[in-house]
Amino acid sequence: MAQKKIKPSKITVFISLSLIGIILMLIPTSYTSKVNFTFIDLFDFFLNIGSSAVRYPQADSNSPYYVSRGEYNKLWVAYSNLQAELFEERKKIVKLQRIRLSEPSPNTSLILAEVLSRRNGNLVINRGSEYGIRPGQYVLGDNAVIGVIGDVSPTVSSVEVITSGSCKIHIKICDTESDVYYNGTIEGNGAGGGRILNVSKKYKIKVGFNVYAAKKAGLLEFPRIIGRVSKCAIDENNPVVWDITVAPAYDIKTISDVAVVAINTL
Amino acid sequence: MRWLRFSMLILFISVVQASTAMNIAAITDLHIKPDILLIFLVYFAIKCETYDAVIVSFSLGFAADIISPTLGPYFLSFGIVGSALAHVRRVILLKTTRQQSVTIIAVGIVTGLLVKILSGFKGPTAMINSVFTISAVAVYSAIVYFLIRLFVEASAKWLGVGLHRFGNKGSSSK
Repeated sequence: MAQKKIKPSKITVFISLSLIGIILMLIPTSYTSKVNFTFIDLFDFFLNIGSSAVRYPQADSNSPYYVSRGEYNKLWVAYSNLQAELFEERKKIVKLQRIRLSEPSPNTSLILAEVLSRRNGNLVINRGSEYGIRPGQYVLGDNAVIGVIGDVSPTVSSVEVITSGSCKIHIKICDTESDVYYNGTIEGNGAGGGRILNVSKKYKIKVGFNVYAAKKAGLLEFPRIIGRVSKCAIDENNPVVWDITVAPAYDIKTISDVAVVAINTL
Repeated sequence: MRWLRFSMLILFISVVQASTAMNIAAITDLHIKPDILLIFLVYFAIKCETYDAVIVSFSLGFAADIISPTLGPYFLSFGIVGSALAHVRRVILLKTTRQQSVTIIAVGIVTGLLVKILSGFKGPTAMINSVFTISAVAVYSAIVYFLIRLFVEASAKWLGVGLHRFGNKGSSSK
């Protein structure tokens, strides 16, 4: 018995295919897009002929250069942190180089420190005795003396700044016109400046004279600028001496980094 | 119709249509490219038997869907318009190249508009062309048809399409 070949009519084919089309329309794109992506994956090479886009080859998981995504992320975080540290160290080098230009003595070390906090007009820095910091050492803020080290712990130290009442530093007032120095002691006036007392009135002190921290054996090898004389008046309590007010060369309120001068005694 | 060969041809056209190499033919900032599938749709709808034309139209629509962001709109619009054209051809012969290219413009615009409407149902993710782009693609395809007519005819011959359509012998699909 001959087998009869069944062939659907044109209208049947058309309606069937239309129904398939309607079903395709009803399926969400998130499912149907897989067909599109499969086509792209299969014919990726041919589809990109003539494209300038570069497709990097997928790394072989057995390759010695292969790292998993998790490992890559971990390494990337570590690398980013190292980069940040490197950036900070570079900044420190730049600062040190700037200070070193005015501190050429090979016996003098500079210890960079950051200001952690301010307390009663003084500063707390993040370096202590572990870094060789000792009480009495001079503290520089961008090449100008801003104070001396007060209390020291292994990890932190306090800086008695020249504007606070607790700081006393031997100074020299420089008459820039005649190159004459007058000795004295500066102490903070508690109002953002320093006072120099007991300088005899016989010395012709004028506003604008430079005030230097005097050199001190084992602590400061060369005089360093502190500020300028901003006011010079007769002392109300003792009319034979001057009451001199000094404006610091460096704005201590905005300081964030300091350098501690450490003389190598060995 | 040799369906295996047709499958290979349709795959080839789809890859060519979707490839970046087609950007060479793109014009204007809108990147208007000729629609080769549209050209083949019109040609096969005119040359094939009505029964084959229906299947060919839907198949070309499915190929167009695969290389577009969504499945469905081209399948329906190419299928419906191609099938309609296969019936119209029984009244109007559309034998000359000029008539066929005008048909490409008309079919291109109609299918484009249908796709635009149907894509609207698929949601905002579907890429919807403007009416100007649809018309421009249709016109550009019609122009390109003059250039690739020999290739289209050779492909049709390879598939065994239209060999006896206007001859004395009966159709191979009968």
